[in-house]
Amino acid sequence: MAALLRSARALKFSPSSLLQVAVVTKNGTPLNRLYSGTTGARGIGFCTRQGISSSVIVNRLAWPSAAVPGVRQYGVAAEQKGSSGGEEGSVALRSKQTQQFDWALAKLDNSVRRTGRITKTLLLRIFHDICRSGYPSGNQALLLLRSCGSLLPEMPLVERTELAHRVWDKLQEQGASYDASHYNALLKVYLQNEHKFSPTEFLAKMEAANVQPNRVTYQRLIAAYCQEGDIEGASTILGYMKTKDLPITEAVFNSLVTGHAKAGDMESAESILNVMKGAGIEPGPDTYVALMSAYAEKGDIDKIKQTLETVESTDSSLMDRDLMQVVSSLARSGHGQHVQAIVERMRHERGFVPEAMNLCLSLITQGQEDSAYVVLRTFPMLQVEGQNGDSPDLGNFFLRHCVNMNKPVDKLVHYCKDMKDSGLHTTALQFTLYCALEARKTGLAVELMKAMKEEGMPIRPHYCWPLLTHYNKEKNTAGILEVLKGLQELGVHADADTYSRFVLPSFSSNENARDTLKEAGCDVETEGFIAAELRGEAFKGNLAGLLTLISNPSFPALDLSVFRGSLINGFKKSDDVESMAKITELLYQDKRFCAPPADPKEYVAYFLYNLIDGMTSNELRAKEDKLRQYFAQLKTMNINIPVGVYRGIRNQLDSSHVPELIKDVIVLTDAKESLSPGAGTPIPKGVEGRIGILEKRLADLKAEGKPFNNIFKQLIQALCNEEKLDRALELKVQHEEHMTPGCYAVLITLCCRHDNLEEALSLKRELARKDSSVSLDSTRYMTLVRCLAKHGRLEEAVEVLKEMKERDAVLKDTCVTIFFHTLSAAAQKGDVNTIRTLQETAFALGLIRPNNNICSPLISAYLETGDLSGALDASIECHRQYNQLPRIHDIITGLVEKGETEILQKAMDFISQERGEMTMLYDLFFAFLQTARYKEARKIIETPGLRARPGRLQWYAEKCIALNQMEVLENLVDLTGKLFECDRDEMYHYALRLCSDMSDWRKAESLWTKMQEENVIPRERTLRLLASILKSNGQEVPFEVPETWYDGSAPSGGPKVTERQVPVSSSPPPAAPPSPPSPAAVAGDVQMRIATLCKKGKTAEALEVLKAAEEVPLRPAPYDVLIRSLLAKGNLEDAMAVRDIATSRIPEFVLSDMANSLLIVTHVKRDQVQDAQSVFKAMLQSDQMPTALAVTRLVQGLASHGEVAAIQEVEQQAKTLGSTQTLSTMLFLNNTALAHIKNDDLESAIEMLEGVYTGEPDTVRSISYVFRKVLEDKNFKAVDKLAAMAERLANHFASYRAASDLFLQYVDAGHNEEAKFLLQRCAAVSQQKDFLVSYVVKASQQPGQVNKIKAVVEMVPDCMGKTQLYSSLMKCHGVDKDLASAKALYEQVQKEGLVMDELFMKRLALLYTQSGETVPFQEPPESFKFYANKLREQTKTESTEE
Amino acid sequence: MAAAGKKLYEVFVSKVPWTLATKEVKEYFGQFGQVKRCLMPFDKETGFHRGFCWVGYASEEGLQNALQKEPHVIEGSKLLVQRNRKPVVGRKFAKEEEES
Repeated sequence: MAALLRSARALKFSPSSLLQVAVVTKNGTPLNRLYSGTTGARGIGFCTRQGISSSVIVNRLAWPSAAVPGVRQYGVAAEQKGSSGGEEGSVALRSKQTQQFDWALAKLDNSVRRTGRITKTLLLRIFHDICRSGYPSGNQALLLLRSCGSLLPEMPLVERTELAHRVWDKLQEQGASYDASHYNALLKVYLQNEHKFSPTEFLAKMEAANVQPNRVTYQRLIAAYCQEGDIEGASTILGYMKTKDLPITEAVFNSLVTGHAKAGDMESAESILNVMKGAGIEPGPDTYVALMSAYAEKGDIDKIKQTLETVESTDSSLMDRDLMQVVSSLARSGHGQHVQAIVERMRHERGFVPEAMNLCLSLITQGQEDSAYVVLRTFPMLQVEGQNGDSPDLGNFFLRHCVNMNKPVDKLVHYCKDMKDSGLHTTALQFTLYCALEARKTGLAVELMKAMKEEGMPIRPHYCWPLLTHYNKEKNTAGILEVLKGLQELGVHADADTYSRFVLPSFSSNENARDTLKEAGCDVETEGFIAAELRGEAFKGNLAGLLTLISNPSFPALDLSVFRGSLINGFKKSDDVESMAKITELLYQDKRFCAPPADPKEYVAYFLYNLIDGMTSNELRAKEDKLRQYFAQLKTMNINIPVGVYRGIRNQLDSSHVPELIKDVIVLTDAKESLSPGAGTPIPKGVEGRIGILEKRLADLKAEGKPFNNIFKQLIQALCNEEKLDRALELKVQHEEHMTPGCYAVLITLCCRHDNLEEALSLKRELARKDSSVSLDSTRYMTLVRCLAKHGRLEEAVEVLKEMKERDAVLKDTCVTIFFHTLSAAAQKGDVNTIRTLQETAFALGLIRPNNNICSPLISAYLETGDLSGALDASIECHRQYNQLPRIHDIITGLVEKGETEILQKAMDFISQERGEMTMLYDLFFAFLQTARYKEARKIIETPGLRARPGRLQWYAEKCIALNQMEVLENLVDLTGKLFECDRDEMYHYALRLCSDMSDWRKAESLWTKMQEENVIPRERTLRLLASILKSNGQEVPFEVPETWYDGSAPSGGPKVTERQVPVSSSPPPAAPPSPPSPAAVAGDVQMRIATLCKKGKTAEALEVLKAAEEVPLRPAPYDVLIRSLLAKGNLEDAMAVRDIATSRIPEFVLSDMANSLLIVTHVKRDQVQDAQSVFKAMLQSDQMPTALAVTRLVQGLASHGEVAAIQEVEQQAKTLGSTQTLSTMLFLNNTALAHIKNDDLESAIEMLEGVYTGEPDTVRSISYVFRKVLEDKNFKAVDKLAAMAERLANHFASYRAASDLFLQYVDAGHNEEAKFLLQRCAAVSQQKDFLVSYVVKASQQPGQVNKIKAVVEMVPDCMGKTQLYSSLMKCHGVDKDLASAKALYEQVQKEGLVMDELFMKRLALLYTQSGETVPFQEPPESFKFYANKLREQTKTESTEE
Repeated sequence: MAAAGKKLYEVFVSKVPWTLATKEVKEYFGQFGQVKRCLMPFDKETGFHRGFCWVGYASEEGLQNALQKEPHVIEGSKLLVQRNRKPVVGRKFAKEEEES
């Protein structure tokens, strides 16, 4: 029924989407947190509004209290604009950068696993990503909804519910369809968020949406009533459940405990426990938690303690997590004074810290920070010692959240002091301040600094930078003044850096700043401010103005070091030689600019050195004349520099290739010092009737006296094949002399098979007599061993084994199997001795490697005779000898069954000691399960600290599946419910597999309900399995199956639609009347078909379907899907036609981000650059996010048209998107250059490109793309110019990247002569080894690149090591499938005596196998991946050893 | 030789608490020898420094003194001091930082 409504989306079935969900559901335990008794607000009445207004649109809900402004009907375009405020906006930006949805999901999973919580930012980001990716799957929706509850402890409860509603509405708009699991998840969120809603309305909405409530739904509705103390309401639902014959589970009773308590009837609450027992349900931990929470709300600590004692006397045990709920209830109902008493009882189990952190966070959020602090104080002290033995810093999370929640300063200060005094945190106040600054809370920050000052801690100017940097960006002068005044009150003077970086730039001018600050009462006559002013002038290059300032006698003393950098900058900018010299002179003479111990003369000398040092070589050359004049003036001013400093300057000039200036500097040297000639500057790396015929031929040949050896052999073989032993032996006797070793071998095996041991042995002896050097095939030897063992002739068997060893028989897998069967046969007879002897011999000889399987018959022998103790001893012995513990599960199970506690203890001790306690516990757990001792099993699995071992759980589950043990398996699933890190989906999947095998759809259905109860988000494969069980048993599938697109292929047209309208439900829901297909259902179907067809690439058919569906109210989604598919095929015309149809049917229709991006790409491909650009602009206007690929193609398209300005425009626009991070920084640069080249403006291009390398030395900047393009275009004029530029960069600027890029591009394009020529002129290219090596390695990954590699190596012979080169070459030959070259290479390697790695050998071996030749050496046995990893490990260790 | 070219004896200091700025770090490392420069990159977006800096000594001796003293603790925070292997990338910071 409801399934009709759920097809409206494009389903993506890909391994990666499976993976996404896979990771997310892995964390059973953290997500499990969602399932737990909820504590609720008390005494809030709500009106039960019966019925539902008819205005509710089918399949669309309007939530009574949902604060979602402006319901958006068609979301694709409208949502992009974002109705909510700035926060989402910035999230939008950030998520644009994250782009990859998988990444976000993995991140979410990681967050939950690590911390048990999710941050709001992260969740919003993922929400946004899911919306953006288009068509959210049911699982994604489930995941998001589930996350809106207690996984967000840092968010107030109301906001969480609002978020849940936003998610619900938005995803529905986007085509997500909801089933019972979604409604149940929403209910859970309501419960966790204590959201008040009307359960009856909720049910009505589910009915309106044709979704059948199930047991979990009812349970949660009962919980909702109970949370409000409405026992009557709860009873109504309970009534429903009874009429539907649904089981009343423990959860229901637990709710009732809460319900009665909330209604103020503790007596009834307490009595529920007896009612439960009466109904045959034992109260579980959750029951007791509900009860204790009820006491907590009354502040009745005595009763809580009493209850705790009661629990201790029962089978159930409470976890820390359970106690935390009690703490929460106490704190929130104003009984914080009792928190300590409960906290003390916690055991600090594994996972305590994250759980407790979440408790603290949610308490802080809910205004209970004092109680949170009490909890924090009990954190295990192990945590105190920070990582790497640093000083303790416990409680950062606490302080940060308090700051974020705007807790009062005095409270914060109090916590900090207490944390410091108790040694929890050495720098609590500093950290709190850090958080305040980070959150940009100026007022709080100033208050905190005051507190720090009182504590005698230093306050430094840079503390205010995080605030100022923010205000400066906004040019918020009021904010700046507030900060400065705050600092002043604290007696801290802002320093020069503070003023010059953050303050002055916010004002129109220095004067304006000075005046405004003064007016506001800030002291401006400080060293910091004045220095900042100086820096400002210098930065502007206003040296005259600067000179005026500093030459003023009233100018205060200010050390040069404060403004030296700016001054150098100013010198570089200015041509005012006069002022330069005068400033230098002033500095030289005036002691004000030089702190006492230093000498101004020397200071100036270093300044000159710094000046030269601070200029790049082209800056130096550009200013050569100015500098010459400057030095000359300095000379006239009698300014001298020490020889040492001169030498420094000389070296600078030399290495900057401006030696011409040296003579101008030398004149400044102190004549008294002698100049010694300086050393040269150093210059910079894998028949019927046959026997009859043969007999006749043999007879014929014999009669003719011709040789018949061949026929004889064939005949023996044929006789053996047909098991004719007697005739074969007869023949053998007749033609003794014609018997070959092969004939003997087959005969021996046949004798063994016929249990004719004596004959076999005599044949063997005969063979040995004839030719002692002949050895049998190992399988034949082993068959003989088996026969001997069977006849109890152990000694001879051992002899045969020894002979095998002597003859170096190679043991195949079949031999091992035969050996195992030999042992197993002995085991069935309980013949321990035979097993031991054979086993030990085979192991000792090294014929067979001991493994669990081969060791197990020995244990089986004991178990066969019921000797459990002997079995255990034998297993232990195996462990000692071979490190195998065979059949230990069967032994323990046997011991448990027979109640052999003593031996069991021995077994446990042993396992514990040898394999660890965890292994022991699992062994015991499985044994209890196997013997149906579920109570005991539960105790074991709930051992604190035990965590999930997926391998072991799988082993046992598979065993259950193989043996059809449904009950045991169900219990396994059930008992592991709270196991730490247990993959719940995986566990349910095992159970479902068995359901599938046993065709038990009822069981499957109940498992699905249980999954909802547990809040497990199923992986797609689980849903598919469940659906297939239901379908194959003729049941309706009550949810959307992820693979519908694949098998739901409507052959053509409409009949399928009508077919689908008939529900195949076996039990039609009683309440809902059989409804005709709603328009929404038909729309959903059409939508699905379009998606399906698109997915299969049948766009033309999809287009027909769409055109035909004129009367159907489709959502924008199918149009968009079709447009994208059409564009992906390059069919622009049809895509535009679909857009027009969409617009005519849905006026608000706008293409999605992805569709628009594809449109850009398509336009560019068709060389319609203008159109592409206008799409791009339109996207930006509607706040859409073009993909990086679209932007790249656009820019490249523009470049090919020489559109320089347009590229710059795009660059600017892309920056506003904040998406630049995903775009290569060089994209714009390279393409602008190409555009210049296209316009024949080579100079501008060169100037730009040169700037890349002569400007800031930055990491990797490649202009390879430019070189490649011009080479491709055969624009040799440009090539020449660019080559000249590259040479210049290399030879004058020591910047080799461009030359190296060019060199490799030459090689890549096959211009080897040019490459050589370039190399001659820029020898340094050959030094760029990393670069060359990376080219070779990359080239080796593609076919047909051998010559390029060879060219590189020929030109730069020493660019890489031989082994590395040969490895790359072998890889090349591998991709080229060139065996001949590979052989030649291998010969060369051998000739040179090199030892190559396994990967090399493996590749060579593969080539041999591919060409059907035999590999002439031993092929490395492991996989490629194995060796690749091995190599990687090696390199890793090598590099760490360095 | 005082101004022997670009040769600087540098240590790379990490885990610098946010409360310290260039001045404090220079003062601290000054006890081991003359500090020629101290580069501490600040994050323009956040206004906090990045938690590491380079301290350049005028002589090998200063560098060795600094490396031998262990642990380096300023205001209760332990700094991680290592010999700087790669020279500071160009003069990029020089412009931003007023240093000596």
